[in-house]
Amino acid sequence: MINRLTIPIVRGLLLVWLAAMPAVLSAQEEVQAEPRTRHFSFGITAGMDRNYHSVDMVYMSDMKFDKFRTGTVFGLRLGYAPLKWLSINTGAVLIQKNYHMDHVFEYYYLRYSLNTTSTNDYVNIPLELKLSVGKTVRLHAFGGVFGGYWLKGHRKGVTYSFSNERYYSFDEDYEFNDKRDNRIEKGFTWGAGLSGMILGKIEVGAEIRWYYSITDIQKPYMTNLNPRYNTAVAFQAGLSYWL
Amino acid sequence: MRKDAFFYGLLLLVTLSNVSCRKEPLENRGNPNNLICKTYLSQFEAIWSGMDQGYVFWDRDTVDWDARYEEYRPIFAAFDARPANKPVTQIEYMEAYTGLFAGLLDHHLTGRFYAAKGIPHGQCEAFVSPGTNDYYHSVSNSEALRLQLKALRKRAVPGTLVEYSPSNEYGNPGSYFCLIPGANDGELIAYFRFTNFYMVQMHQKYQWYPNSPDSQKAQAPARAFYGPLYHEGITTEAGYANNDSVVGIIIDVRGNGGGSVEDLEPLIGSLSQSPTLVGYTRVKEGYGRLDYSAWSESIVKCPSLHLNKQKPIVVLADVTSVSCAELATMLIKALPNGTFIGERTYGAIGGLYSGGATNIYHDLFYSGCFGDYQYFEDGPDPYHDNFTYYVYTSTFHMVDNTYGDVEGVGVQPDIEIRFNLSRLDEGTDNQLDRAIRFIRVGH
Repeated sequence: MINRLTIPIVRGLLLVWLAAMPAVLSAQEEVQAEPRTRHFSFGITAGMDRNYHSVDMVYMSDMKFDKFRTGTVFGLRLGYAPLKWLSINTGAVLIQKNYHMDHVFEYYYLRYSLNTTSTNDYVNIPLELKLSVGKTVRLHAFGGVFGGYWLKGHRKGVTYSFSNERYYSFDEDYEFNDKRDNRIEKGFTWGAGLSGMILGKIEVGAEIRWYYSITDIQKPYMTNLNPRYNTAVAFQAGLSYWL
Repeated sequence: MRKDAFFYGLLLLVTLSNVSCRKEPLENRGNPNNLICKTYLSQFEAIWSGMDQGYVFWDRDTVDWDARYEEYRPIFAAFDARPANKPVTQIEYMEAYTGLFAGLLDHHLTGRFYAAKGIPHGQCEAFVSPGTNDYYHSVSNSEALRLQLKALRKRAVPGTLVEYSPSNEYGNPGSYFCLIPGANDGELIAYFRFTNFYMVQMHQKYQWYPNSPDSQKAQAPARAFYGPLYHEGITTEAGYANNDSVVGIIIDVRGNGGGSVEDLEPLIGSLSQSPTLVGYTRVKEGYGRLDYSAWSESIVKCPSLHLNKQKPIVVLADVTSVSCAELATMLIKALPNGTFIGERTYGAIGGLYSGGATNIYHDLFYSGCFGDYQYFEDGPDPYHDNFTYYVYTSTFHMVDNTYGDVEGVGVQPDIEIRFNLSRLDEGTDNQLDRAIRFIRVGH
């Protein structure tokens, strides 16, 4: 769902953003009138992210998780700017936090290669403070917290079938295990970006943002549990309309 | 002023971003498949951890394994603290491990533990097998077989019984073939029974040593039923299975203790006309108890040498049918022309790799058997004190083809006929008679 919708939207927004930048840079006069006198904004954002699934495999050294895996991001944002240089932002973001596991096992003449690509859709709701400087092109730094929910999982890969004694390919929706899977997520978010105004009321911008989860994706269902965390770095572009 | 506030704010954001609120990963205490234990406590920790990470039934098992740790860790720690004049006794050692494993679901699960010479006041040994059933037979498998064969002789067409009963039950499979009269004149029922799933291995053995004294006799029942290529399937018209006068087949796996899945395709898959989905399996995919791989289909192929037309097939099985015998029962039950008559089977269905060469599968799947297989097989070795334990447990979690749980439960019969010792003593095998009636009458 996210993939199908987001990729064309991202492309569209990037095109709009690129097309708008010359107008932003050349329209100094109109730009002088911008957000300082406006307090509320709403908009959309889209992009891609690279997720790092942090898990220590202890002695299972031949089971590797890729450092980063790509996903897509799509979101709605709301802003309130009490001061020219300070705003409070929130919204809802659909973000994929994907990872890949490779398990290659070799023992003399035997070689087994198993893998799983896990695609996970989350909704994240950030609440953050944004500090801004600049006039024509404004530079932003922001940070805050986010809460989230693991909406859906999908996995695809190769495992091993016992009776057939052969590899078995699978491609299926992940069935959540209520005992194991912690679908509630919370963490910190921070990042930086650039933006400019066009047509007086529309702000176009791009940003890089970290979603640093501090909740284990597993519930504490066993004592000897090795924690697993997601850290997503999102590259987003967006449009906001200032009321 | 505004500029200062901006940069102080930025500093606060950067500081917040570096705050780590995540839990630390666990300490790496090594792979429980090859840990060296020099104390009772370290041996307990290795075995507890091996089960904690590698046991495949944690999503179904009701045993609280963390509570077992809390309960038994002090006991093993106290063993280490014993003074030299009060050594740990065999009974204490056995009771500790029996209690640790009590009630676990895996019906393959067997553990052998040895307090080796490196452990102070050692030399104790424990052997545990916690699988239990809510019913059992009051006679041994060999006695049941003897009585059932006696009853079979009464039903067999005279002169058709071909039997091989090896002297050593851990060697070749015993196997039995006969023809039984069908409902009408000229109609026959083919009956085949074997005591374990090492038929293909037996064939391989005699292929290498064709002049072995019992080569012909050991293979005769299988050749009579399947034909000369029984290790590949059913040879057209060479074995009775494909004979036109045979209108039904009885496969008897009562008392069959299982063996190698290698046998499933030629011996059971050949009774079908196409591949059969028996169930689904999965393994571990990580350190957590519930880190499972996806389910994979467990399909038994139909070899090119197979039954040339559908006939009613009845599988006879009971609580003494174990492991591969249960898989065979599931397979025949899944056939459109297959019916399972008898009792619920033993319930040890999780696929398993064990043995000296295959112990590496614990390191491949991070599930199943772990420890020193050589010790498990041969017992303590004064020159080999590295490994002091072996746990024989399922590598794969298996469910049936409707995702129904079978481990610890067994396969449910289509027609339940309980084992009846008093009838057997009188010379009547009520389960066999029900199978014959089913084929003759059709229900």
